[in-house]
Amino acid sequence: MSATLEPTASILDLAPETAPDLPAWFAERQRAAWQRFLETPAPTRRDETWRFSNLKQLDFSSYLADVPVPEDTGSIIETSVGVESPAAKYIFVNETLIEIDSKLPENVICLPLAEALLLHPDLVEKTFMLQDTRLGSAKWAALHEARVSNGLFVHVPDGVEVEGTIEVFHWLAGDRAAIFPHTLIVTGAQSKVRVIDYFQSAESEQEGLCIAFNDLCAGPGSKLDYLAIQAFNEKTRVIQINETGVAKEASATGFILNTGAAWARNEAMSRLTGEGSRSDMLSVSVPAREQEFDQRTFQHHVSPGATSDLLYKNSLYDRARTIFSGLIFVDEGAHRTDAYQTCRNLFMSEDAEAHSMPGLEINADDVKCSHGSTSAQISEEEIFYLRARGIDPHRARQLIARGFSVEVIERLGDEKVEETVLRFLDDKFSRIAGGGA
Amino acid sequence: MSYDSSTTIDQETQTAIDIDRSKGDFKFPERHKYDAGRGLTERTVDYISDVKQDPEWVREFRQKALKVFLEKPMPTNWATKDLENIDFDNIRYYLSDGEKPKRSWDEVPEEVLKTFDRLGIPEQERAFLAGVEAQYDSEAAYSNMKEELTQQGVIFVNSTEGLKEYEEVFRPWFGKVIPTGDNKFSALNSAVFSGGSFIYIPKGVKLKQPLQAYFRINSESFGQFERTLIIADEGAEVMYMEGCTAPKFETSTLHSAVVELVALKGAKIQYVTVQNWSSNVYNLVTKRGLAMEDAEVRWIDCNIGSRLTMKYPGVIMKGERARGEVISIALANSGQHQDTGAKMIHAANHTTSNVVSKSISVGEGRSTYRGQVHIPKHLKGCKNNTECDALLINTKSRTDTYPAITVKGNQHATQHEASVSQVSEEMLFYMQQRGIDEGHAMSLAVNGFINDLVREFPMEYSVELKRLIDLEMEGSVG
Amino acid sequence: MSLVITDLHAQLEDGTEILKGVTLEIPAGEVHAIMGPNGSGKSTLSKVISGHEGYEVTAGSVTLDGEDILEMSIDERSRAGVFLAFQYPAEVPGVSNANFIRAALQARLPKGQELDAVAYYKSLYEKMDLLEMDRKFTARAVNEGFSGGEKKRNEILQMLMLEPKYCILDETDSGLDIDALKIVAKGVNAMRSTDRGMLLITHYQRLLDYIKPDVVHVMSAGRIVKTGGPELALELEEKGYDFLKELTVA
Repeated sequence: MSATLEPTASILDLAPETAPDLPAWFAERQRAAWQRFLETPAPTRRDETWRFSNLKQLDFSSYLADVPVPEDTGSIIETSVGVESPAAKYIFVNETLIEIDSKLPENVICLPLAEALLLHPDLVEKTFMLQDTRLGSAKWAALHEARVSNGLFVHVPDGVEVEGTIEVFHWLAGDRAAIFPHTLIVTGAQSKVRVIDYFQSAESEQEGLCIAFNDLCAGPGSKLDYLAIQAFNEKTRVIQINETGVAKEASATGFILNTGAAWARNEAMSRLTGEGSRSDMLSVSVPAREQEFDQRTFQHHVSPGATSDLLYKNSLYDRARTIFSGLIFVDEGAHRTDAYQTCRNLFMSEDAEAHSMPGLEINADDVKCSHGSTSAQISEEEIFYLRARGIDPHRARQLIARGFSVEVIERLGDEKVEETVLRFLDDKFSRIAGGGA
Repeated sequence: MSYDSSTTIDQETQTAIDIDRSKGDFKFPERHKYDAGRGLTERTVDYISDVKQDPEWVREFRQKALKVFLEKPMPTNWATKDLENIDFDNIRYYLSDGEKPKRSWDEVPEEVLKTFDRLGIPEQERAFLAGVEAQYDSEAAYSNMKEELTQQGVIFVNSTEGLKEYEEVFRPWFGKVIPTGDNKFSALNSAVFSGGSFIYIPKGVKLKQPLQAYFRINSESFGQFERTLIIADEGAEVMYMEGCTAPKFETSTLHSAVVELVALKGAKIQYVTVQNWSSNVYNLVTKRGLAMEDAEVRWIDCNIGSRLTMKYPGVIMKGERARGEVISIALANSGQHQDTGAKMIHAANHTTSNVVSKSISVGEGRSTYRGQVHIPKHLKGCKNNTECDALLINTKSRTDTYPAITVKGNQHATQHEASVSQVSEEMLFYMQQRGIDEGHAMSLAVNGFINDLVREFPMEYSVELKRLIDLEMEGSVG
Repeated sequence: MSLVITDLHAQLEDGTEILKGVTLEIPAGEVHAIMGPNGSGKSTLSKVISGHEGYEVTAGSVTLDGEDILEMSIDERSRAGVFLAFQYPAEVPGVSNANFIRAALQARLPKGQELDAVAYYKSLYEKMDLLEMDRKFTARAVNEGFSGGEKKRNEILQMLMLEPKYCILDETDSGLDIDALKIVAKGVNAMRSTDRGMLLITHYQRLLDYIKPDVVHVMSAGRIVKTGGPELALELEEKGYDFLKELTVA
């Protein structure tokens, strides 16, 4: 379909058209979202949610709608490599599905979003983008909603435990292409699922834009693990917005690895809506050269007796820049809250720059909340210790920096998954000037 | 609950506390020779300049500042909306009886003397102070310092006298640590400032006893805008303490000071504040110190009173090995918002800063910590440590923490830690099992929480502080 | 003169009944021991007598020298003469031991009377010497960073200072090495007197080697199931708590 269009229109100019076969509610939502996008003012210096941000990155006027999928996608399929023998695998190029493979049990609904809208419109409507985006990107969430054409919809029924990992590859191809991938995961009571989104570029020098959104709804007692591996080329700009809702006794883990992109903004929001719920928010970022990662998080304790634990780690090389702004927000009456938030920056260069804004807003009194933030470099003693064991200083720095990130990755608790994440991490380290770490 | 203070507090203590509670809550009739009237225009500023017989450069400084104030928006994009309730048109910006500050309490007008007597100022002066300035509405009523300090070349006068009599020392630093346009309220102060201290400590002079200023508001709908500049020359040391009170008026009162500290090479300035404004005062204060090579600036700050306090004492560490510190205690009760914090700007190698902030929210009180730590490029060996702990007493108590830490370059170490907790049931049970009633147990726990910081205050202040906190805790249980 | 517990029933907030009718009398001048397996309700009994708000008394009574104490608040019961040496004493950061004990003593004085500071320190040091406690201890925050042994000694110190009518010692021997146990026992024995009653709650016979009880009770599943002389403790030690099964069946 898109291959026949001449991609000349900017994503900001041309109103999107919802495919005619999609349900009316969805068309209406897209139309309203476009209107909202047009009406919402762009962020300014005075917006706290954009403090320290590089607002110049938000000029998206040069990106094009409907850039066609390349004719030969063989190499893309070949390089879509994730964990060993996944439970299901989907490959999208510019939001167009090009490959599908699934060993999932029949009662699990796992479909490209475009198809899920046709086959299970009611299920999608009940959960699709229902929360307000409150971390600054309301305008871009509206643009996503208006333009999204595909992604993945996963619905795991009550009591069903999905073994293994569902994988989704999102490729950007063509110059100035823009994608709006959506991942919507709903778990029923006492169910279990793990999904990994991989974000990559087909070419290393083509500019691109990705405004991704993931909606995670963890039902009572369920376990939902979600990983995003962002490894675009360093010409790409990324906004990735996450909305997680965790019901009673459920546990949700959200992990983000940032190795790629020129500029990436992550907004992660966890809402703990049931007693005994738990949210783990994890991130590893390794920016180098001129890369900038801007991360904003929100741990929202709605219900009493819930736990959230956030650990974000940045290793900064060259002239890299990171921003971390996190907030633990405890509602009135959300007693017995346990909430933790830690951001650690490891400086590998004297030109790097890190901003940390760990925040707390507490409206209940019976709580245990803490946050910590540190910035440091590798200490000479650490290097000395490794050298005393016969390891050369360059290698010693590599080992320590890798170990710094591994501490987060180990919390994923699955060997195969950890191996896959480490593969992307090591690939990044190998591309850092002087071998990096 | 059935908390009865009489069971454990003896009569004497009870009496002391009762006096304390109402300590600042009294007023005398207004007798102003000069009154700038309500509202703020160029004419108000001119009136102030005329009354104070400002030199031309000060007139210009004020008028420029007024323009900045009028142009600047309210900082409500990050701060509380309660700021919008300040009615700038209803405030009286200058009130005085036209008298010069007196060197002897005997010469101070009777009602003013009575005021400061009740607040215990002359008594404290005799007991442990090197000098006192007592400000009543817009101007100082009393200002005196021990004779020996004058001989050593120490200057301790009000800002009006400072800028006229000591222009060569005053002017080079005035408005340099905190420029007019730093924020809306520093601009306001720059336009209408009156009173406050000018202090100069000559090279190598180390004051053994503190200097003190006391700020008193007596008039309703009044704005107090004192301006303080303290310069400690090379190797000098000084501790300055300030206290403040106002009666409880029907309408809100505005207090907006600017305090600039300059610690030259190897100097040390400690600035101690016990803020106990009545609960309808907007206390919007800008405080910043400049620390040169090997110098040290310490802000020791305690906020118990006011409706809304916004105050983030800062230190710019401009010389190598300079040190900055903020020690802060805040107690927010129902109807109060203590929005405090610290700004640490590292601008030279091997500078170190330390922030320790403890807040207690009681009833529906809200306390907020905002911090800024900035370590720019191409420096090495900078260190910051920040700790903020919040204690929540009741279900509706609220606390927020918003630090921002910017580090550029890899040769630094920063560490920020914050925690929120409450007095645990088990701790209260333990104390009560020993026969201590719930109210006192809560007081003990709260005093224990801030104990390590209270020690940083001079003895006379720490006793006062503990008493004030006991008082605030009394109503918190039940 | 005695502490009398009659048919005491108590439950947790969730309705789980822990005490299912405990009856016990501790006359002044006597030392009683309650032994029993974990979860039998021993510690709960001590907390209920002290007025812990986590338990609801559903039936029964507790009187102290004839006065009903169940209607009293926690601190009133303490001032009336009930002392509990905690199994796990809470930490009170920032409040020194000297200040804490002073506050507790001050709370016992009539209105208008100030504690005599000199006499207070004299008495405090005397008791600390008995318990072989270092003077530095007075300046340390209550139980903060204390070892298990230090915490238990601190409990006994407070007991010595407050001179209660009835002392309840909850698992005071747990976490103590033999030297510390002897010191603690010395402190407790120093408190034995004809006008003071004591209740030792313990899992093991060990403590009773050093503090000889007059009466031993065995508690199981929220009730006193057997009462006897000191020999009962030895029998328990020998046979283990399994022999309780016979008792409950009987």
